[in-house]
Amino acid sequence: MMLRNLFIFLILALAVTSLKGCSQGPITVRRVVFNQTISHNDVTFIAPGKTDLLAVVERLGTPNEILTSKDGIVTRYYFADGKYFKANYGWGLRFLIPFFTPDLDLGGGGIGRDVFQVTYDDHWLVRDKSFAFHSHSSEFVVWPFRD
Amino acid sequence: MKSGCYLLGFIMVALLLQGCAFIRGNYGEELGQGDITTIQKGISTRADVAAVLGAPDRIIEANGREIFHYYHYDIKSGSVLIFSRTNIKSDDTFVIFNGAGIVEEVVAGKRKGPLEFQFWPFDWPFH
Repeated sequence: MMLRNLFIFLILALAVTSLKGCSQGPITVRRVVFNQTISHNDVTFIAPGKTDLLAVVERLGTPNEILTSKDGIVTRYYFADGKYFKANYGWGLRFLIPFFTPDLDLGGGGIGRDVFQVTYDDHWLVRDKSFAFHSHSSEFVVWPFRD
Repeated sequence: MKSGCYLLGFIMVALLLQGCAFIRGNYGEELGQGDITTIQKGISTRADVAAVLGAPDRIIEANGREIFHYYHYDIKSGSVLIFSRTNIKSDDTFVIFNGAGIVEEVVAGKRKGPLEFQFWPFDWPFH
């Protein structure tokens, strides 16, 4: 009886181990997001020469970076979006040729980063602000051979 | 027949659980508001700040000022079967000193929106 239980346990363990490959499947879709994006609507309250650093931080949070430049002090907010897709086109062959299942992985992705930048004068009043939008450059790439 | 159903059920549950993971992590210590409020503008020195918040992760020189930069990142990641999404949020703290080494400004504030566990990687159909 004990030998039978051991045998059943072994079969179940082998079944679960083999299913691990199935659950990973032929397709992988992944995304990594760094911070929430800041839009034009979020920064309409900023008035150059009037709004100060603390007012900006209160509404937008702490910047990711503070830099120095000849025009003053620069704070930068980053938002990044990364997307990745992979399909194993050889995955289905395991049902036709069980002893030989080559992987044929095709796919790709990218990372785009938005930046919102605010420059302050020596009294911590906003001198100017600007955006750079690149986060939409990231996409799930299904077919990597296109131009 | 009954044991066959149990076996099938076990395999289905095992199959679903194999591709499921929710992970949380962080980088840097989250500074408490209590710690930050003990820093007084115009009074606290570099040594006072280091005693309360610890050594900074980075020191920046900007227009004659010295800035202590403390990092903090929070990460939540979810994976269900073939889908996976990782959300990262930064909540850094900056302490700015004047030329005499006295605190001029403390820059600390939360980024908008809570950090969520998500596994769905697409914007649609929720946006």
